[in-house]
Amino acid sequence: MFRPRLPFALSLCCRTYATRRPEKPPARFPDPLKNTSNAVVTTLQDDNNLTFIYRPPPSVPSPHSTTLDPASPLLKPRIPSNGGDSGPLPPLLRPSSYKAEPERVSREVIEKIRALRLSQPRTHSRTKLAKMFNCTPNFISKVAALPRPQRKQFMGELKADHAAVRGRWGERKATVVAIRQKRREFW
Amino acid sequence: MGHVSRRLYSSLAVSTAHLKHFPPREATLRTKKATFDPETWAALQPPPPSALMAFSHRIGLGAVLTTPAAVQRACTHKSFLNLHTRYYPLSPPPPNNANLAVLGNALMGLFASEHLHATYPHLPTRVLKAAVSAHVGPLTCASVAQEMGAVPLLRWHRQPATPTSPALLHSDALASIPRALTALVYQERCLASARKFVYSFFLGRRVDIRAMLKFRDPKRALMETVAKFQREPPKSRLLKETGRFSNSPIFVVGIYTGTDQLGEGFGSSLKMAEYRAAEDALHRLYLTRTPAHRLTLPSSTFGEDANIYNLTNPAPYTPGELGESEALYASSGRSGILAPRRRVLEVES
Repeated sequence: MFRPRLPFALSLCCRTYATRRPEKPPARFPDPLKNTSNAVVTTLQDDNNLTFIYRPPPSVPSPHSTTLDPASPLLKPRIPSNGGDSGPLPPLLRPSSYKAEPERVSREVIEKIRALRLSQPRTHSRTKLAKMFNCTPNFISKVAALPRPQRKQFMGELKADHAAVRGRWGERKATVVAIRQKRREFW
Repeated sequence: MGHVSRRLYSSLAVSTAHLKHFPPREATLRTKKATFDPETWAALQPPPPSALMAFSHRIGLGAVLTTPAAVQRACTHKSFLNLHTRYYPLSPPPPNNANLAVLGNALMGLFASEHLHATYPHLPTRVLKAAVSAHVGPLTCASVAQEMGAVPLLRWHRQPATPTSPALLHSDALASIPRALTALVYQERCLASARKFVYSFFLGRRVDIRAMLKFRDPKRALMETVAKFQREPPKSRLLKETGRFSNSPIFVVGIYTGTDQLGEGFGSSLKMAEYRAAEDALHRLYLTRTPAHRLTLPSSTFGEDANIYNLTNPAPYTPGELGESEALYASSGRSGILAPRRRVLEVES
């Protein structure tokens, strides 16, 4: 009813037409059957003019592999990376993967780590040494492994601490943790 | 149906047409000391020759096992001798399948392991062993014997556990029958025929090897494996995601070495998807199979010769691909081979 109309004076000097309100044309969507990248269209030249469109489902690549055509790149001869990469790779899973690897630690530093760790393992813990020498706690374990009885003792103490913490949980917390562990079994 | 009649119909129904004396004399003796147990008597009787020949024809060995005595030998477990000598001490002990079962077991193990190793050259050793057991192990042999219809023909006697040996179970006694049949086919014909027999009954069965591949830490296993192949260390990348922070997210993660994708996995958490991607990468490596037309087996060199110890002309043989052995990790430097335990003599103080 209240269509936008030109003012009376203006309508005298210029022509107007009884048009509809401006509307967008109806959306025409391209046929996804034909327009996907992996669709193969074959048209028969018979009188029927049948068109076959082969569009395999976008599922996981088949894990079946044979020795003639292995699915694993480990079994294919290694091709050095083509000059000019074949496009950007998907993003790494964790933000920490984008951090640069720390410099390799030298032999003298390894000897120092060993001396500190084996002399006083309680004061020179793995995390403390890792921060001191700019490496990871796992590296400290590998490079300066404690003798087996001491390792067992430390592991026993750690397990006892964990068991004490678990003992303080309520029923609900224990159930939630158990459910999470069970779910892991089905990964 | 009552309990007694059900038992009669199931296992104790004995065909009597082929027996020399029926009813047995001991059943009709009327002395004070005479005791007759019909169940024991039924267990001691041999199955009718018609049933034995029908069995041999049913499994396609009508031309190999031509006499009922051969079939009967294959279906008699060595535990039956205990029962037989107790009740018929004067008659000669019936031939049993103990030696045949041992020979047949060795042959089946040979055929299964060479076939599986040639089909999956990269399979880890413990999985190969599990697959061989799944194809020709004792439980499979027992179920194949049931499928063949050898249960009413089996003659055995239940043995309780003793300090030196475990108890004898029905499935163990049944499992001896297909093994004995394999050995008989090898003896009557040749190794190639025995292999064909094992293939048709055992190696044609579908076994899911993928379910046998389980890893405590697939990411670590993949890292060690990729290092063994001298490639760049694997890195996980997020391919697709939807529903993050909702109650049903889906993440698709791929594991890459350089620009090559090793494996892909999906999950409802990033860790789960990465775990599955590592498993997928290892499955793609370990479950690589040789196509059937390129399968070459070492035992094919024996050809159709009946005597494998004096080969006239061995068949030509091109060996298949030798796979990379699996990378062992967290093994503390040990190979995993168990040395036999030495008995510690108790020292009396």
